[in-house]
Amino acid sequence: MLITKVKTKEELLPALTGRVLVIPCLGCSQSYFPLEEFNRLKDELKASGANLASEVTFDYMCREDFTERRLEIYREQIEAADTVLVFSCGVGIQTFAGLLPGKKIVSGSDTFYVPGFPGFTPSEHDCEQCGECRMGLTFGICPVTACSKGLLNGQCGGAKDGKCEVDKNMACGWQRIFERMSALKGSDKGLKEGVQVRDYKKSNI
Amino acid sequence: MIREDFTKYKLKPAKELRELVSGKDKLLVVSCNKCFKEFVSIAEPEYQEAAEIIKTAGKNISGYIPVDYLCNQYLTEKILNKYKNEIENSGAVLVIACGLGIQTVSQTVNKHVLPGADSVWQNGYHGVTLSAEKCGACGECFLTSTGGICPVVDCSKGLVNGPCGGAKNGKCEVGKHRDCAWELIYNRLEKQGRTKGFIQEAPKLRNYRRNKFKLVDEYVKLIRAKRSEGFYGGLYPVELKELASGLAIEKFPEPDIVVIPLSQHAGLACEALVKKGDKVKKGQKIGETAKSPITAPVHSSVSGEVIEIALKKHPVLPSPALSVVIKSDHKQELDASVKPAGALDSLAKEKIAEIIKDKGIVGMGGAGFPTAVKLKSPKPVDTVLINGCECEPLLNADYRVMLERSAELILGLRLIMKAAGVSKGIIALEDNKPLAAEKLKSLLQGDASITVEVVKTKYPQGAERMLIKRVLKREVPLGGLPLDVGVIVNNVGTAYAVWDAVYNGMPLIRRVLTVSGETVPKKGNFEVLVGTQLKEIVKYCGITLKSDEVLKTGGPMMGVIQPDFEAPVIKGTSGLVVVKKHDIVESGPDCIKCGRCVEICPMELKPTFYVLLAKQGKYAEMENHGVLNCIECGCCDNICAAKSSIVDIVKQAKKLIREKKK
Repeated sequence: MLITKVKTKEELLPALTGRVLVIPCLGCSQSYFPLEEFNRLKDELKASGANLASEVTFDYMCREDFTERRLEIYREQIEAADTVLVFSCGVGIQTFAGLLPGKKIVSGSDTFYVPGFPGFTPSEHDCEQCGECRMGLTFGICPVTACSKGLLNGQCGGAKDGKCEVDKNMACGWQRIFERMSALKGSDKGLKEGVQVRDYKKSNI
Repeated sequence: MIREDFTKYKLKPAKELRELVSGKDKLLVVSCNKCFKEFVSIAEPEYQEAAEIIKTAGKNISGYIPVDYLCNQYLTEKILNKYKNEIENSGAVLVIACGLGIQTVSQTVNKHVLPGADSVWQNGYHGVTLSAEKCGACGECFLTSTGGICPVVDCSKGLVNGPCGGAKNGKCEVGKHRDCAWELIYNRLEKQGRTKGFIQEAPKLRNYRRNKFKLVDEYVKLIRAKRSEGFYGGLYPVELKELASGLAIEKFPEPDIVVIPLSQHAGLACEALVKKGDKVKKGQKIGETAKSPITAPVHSSVSGEVIEIALKKHPVLPSPALSVVIKSDHKQELDASVKPAGALDSLAKEKIAEIIKDKGIVGMGGAGFPTAVKLKSPKPVDTVLINGCECEPLLNADYRVMLERSAELILGLRLIMKAAGVSKGIIALEDNKPLAAEKLKSLLQGDASITVEVVKTKYPQGAERMLIKRVLKREVPLGGLPLDVGVIVNNVGTAYAVWDAVYNGMPLIRRVLTVSGETVPKKGNFEVLVGTQLKEIVKYCGITLKSDEVLKTGGPMMGVIQPDFEAPVIKGTSGLVVVKKHDIVESGPDCIKCGRCVEICPMELKPTFYVLLAKQGKYAEMENHGVLNCIECGCCDNICAAKSSIVDIVKQAKKLIREKKK
């Protein structure tokens, strides 16, 4: 699951040479594409002299066989274009570019990371797939993702009023763990027994 | 390439599991059906394995709860609520799921939650489907200048300004099995003749602060709020209502020939009351049956001569249906029965109900349930709800009726309320129709018996169940009817038709429908005679289909594809729309188990299973998974990342299950 944000006119304009084909990927469609901003940006680009010659819509660009088929359908438009301006997440753009290695591809959007696994619901919870789940010690709150520093052995001490020093909008993960432990009348014995060291190799299967 | 065998987590090793459960007993195990695994079986082997390990460690398992898509908080909370006692009495809860599932459970239950599995990283993380491509979601896409190869994730050092110089023979110095991303980038740019420009570009710095917690957090909250807005699930499709919303209702010219099917409603088909060669008049009853109470008569929409009674194409039924074909004499002579019956105040309750039955009035939203049957509710009813949501994209017929025929519509509602013996009426419409809402409200000023409810736009708001939940906060039981919660729901068109029947004596022989679509030359909202063949409308509106387009009767989401234009307009035809083909890819897996259909199903079903079970022919199991409760709204079809036609699968399964029961 991802969230994309369209780039600014200033950033895109220098890259848009010749006839430009615009392709928005509406795959994670419905609620996940910034349609309004996309339309506004197109108007701005046109007003600034970019030659947005045509536009075709893709969906689930990340699925190679869908994309291949669409390339077939829109062959004419693609061949006629000097530059293809793609609005999709990084996976989609790479899939597209991989199938058309000879074409100049411009990525129209930036991709942001959203908690929750691929394809499913955006979630308040996050999981980094570290491959060594420790939530048994931390009462079901993940220190790898809930602590902005990913500390495994307790708080850094920088939090103020329960908020993280890295980003004040974020709650301190270790305070949450402590509060939950107190609520469950749990014990921190397991945590204190040894120092937790992350094995990065585990996530590298 | 698409991979099907991704697994999000793996069971912890036996030694670790034993350590985990030490000091705990009476373990309640919650396991998740994995998404993105090869979808061949619903059963999960991990539980058996874990159970063995736990037992050999001398611990007891107090219960086992398998849940699909454990990370779906709304559904998971509902399921776990059913097991309150088991959870309360357990020593600890062991969750076999990815980190999301574990955290969802730990937030829901007030118990020590133990993770029974470790999550595993996959590529294609953010896309919906699994792929070989990776995206680091850095928030400042560099792909433009690198020929579409990502330096952030494909270069093991994440360098954004060029190679480190350590690569040998095109392989990375960090791991010899991986390609040097910068060499790949260079090769691709060379192919495109862009190397020179690239070298001259200014150095780039990564701005790690771009990935802001707040931005993402707000987005997540927004999406989640939208998802549960009013009712669970649903979609926000691009509506394109503006294509035809400003066009006033126009009378469609009377065709030379009308084809009137004897079955235009839910229930038993009519028997013809006329024969070939008979002269008929406009509004004359030409079909009826006394064999079942659930039926509605049909009437001639023109005056002229019956030229044929034969099996003809039907817009909804899969096989041809018996229809009366009438050649119009264009004299529009009215039948003697077409005359005003009286006014709201002068007519008795029973008389109104009788007129509604006699004039063949049915639900005009699409299902075509006879309105008279709804009025004879065996259960107490307190509210009549007029459904003006029209949540389907493109359609505007109901909107135009609400706007242009508001007074008649309100009178129609009053007639239905009187016939049903109900004192409360509601007209519900979505907030994308402010003009209609304003008009209705101004006409109803100072009237406490009828209220206008404006609800937030969301598909499928117009489904009875969703609307009742939203407006009246009542939950229609699964498999039940609105009557079960004391509500009669009628479409806007139906209420207008009731007015027409009582005040003009006109049976249901005409209706307003929207003709729209981005490529339709003459869009509009037309009042069309029932029986008008689609080809007449296609010709009149200048429709020519492109190779990737189809014509549908109804709306884009639930409408029926019309392969040719022979079928006629019937009482329930709310629109004629030209839409892009739902392209189905024959190759590749038909379900990648991404779970998006589960996420958006407003009936809270799990459409993903239907794809698998139908393939295996397990229809009884499909029934256990609630397939008969599906309202065929098309949300799952619309969002399916594997492009399966889930609704077709469901329709087929329903048919087979019902046939078996007979």
